[in-house]
Amino acid sequence: MSNHLSDPLAHAEVQQARVGRYFVAFFSSSILMLLAFVVSQQQKLSYVQFAEALGALLLFTLISQAALFFGLNLSREQIWKSVSLALVVPLFIVTIGFTVVVFASLYARTMIPTDAMSMQPTLLQ
Amino acid sequence: MATNIAAGADTRLWNAEADEHDPISARTFGFWLYLLSDALIFAGLFASYAVLDNSFNAAGGPIAAQIVHPLEGLIQTFAVLGSVLSYSLATVAMKKGSRTGVIHGILGAIVLSGVFLGIGAHDLLGLIAQGDGPDRSGFLSIFFTLIVSHGLHMVFGILWMLVMLVQVARTGFNQDVVGRLLNLRLFWQFQASVWVCVYVYVYLLGGYN
Repeated sequence: MSNHLSDPLAHAEVQQARVGRYFVAFFSSSILMLLAFVVSQQQKLSYVQFAEALGALLLFTLISQAALFFGLNLSREQIWKSVSLALVVPLFIVTIGFTVVVFASLYARTMIPTDAMSMQPTLLQ
Repeated sequence: MATNIAAGADTRLWNAEADEHDPISARTFGFWLYLLSDALIFAGLFASYAVLDNSFNAAGGPIAAQIVHPLEGLIQTFAVLGSVLSYSLATVAMKKGSRTGVIHGILGAIVLSGVFLGIGAHDLLGLIAQGDGPDRSGFLSIFFTLIVSHGLHMVFGILWMLVMLVQVARTGFNQDVVGRLLNLRLFWQFQASVWVCVYVYVYLLGGYN
């Protein structure tokens, strides 16, 4: 009988908990979000550059959380969680990206531009 | 000389070295698949937000840059990350078999998530009080829907933690309780991942002007 069946605390997912890894995850996510906040306050970048910078910081934050908080890796215990996540991420991106592209095109063809459009750039523009 | 060998004597009906059924892994993987489907619900909300985050859909009301507060959002970010850290440390205490450590970690997570929800509720109630509620415009509808959807996840997470406090105190670390604590860890860490997306997408990108 496997050890973890008699003692649930011996299970690999319980044993993967690490103090150091969680603290690194917390500080890396916090610093990256603080950096994103600082970039947003400087207002030196064009909207596209700003969106790209924030996207990169968000990507690093999510990767650090996946690896350090969730503990995803290619080990025997975690590989199927990692694989299923890798399969869902493209769906996530396509859902948002395809909607933005379609509606940006639709708005450009059907909406009359107004002064209000210059008030705030958005992904659709 | 003929040798008599009983039919099937060398037949193996099962692999003695095969893995036994692992109820905890089965539970956490099933819950992980639920979280991925939940992520796609948020993908739908983010896509809707991208469509409605436009002056056409403001209906003369405020746009994102006029209602979001990036600094308050940053404080919320630290609160939710701190809450996730506290719960994650509770699972380190579980590894050591410490009920007290688990209870303290969960209580810390509840307090910090209360701070997070308090700031968020204050913001949303303030908008409603000044007439900019979810019925004001298409943009405000999706803004409220997105923020409240995440907030409701946090509320249910807190309720789950309260249940686990009772179970840990009463029954200790049996297989069922350990499985639930591990699933709650996944759920709570997932909330932090969703929130950083909301913060960057709504509070920072939306605050650009």
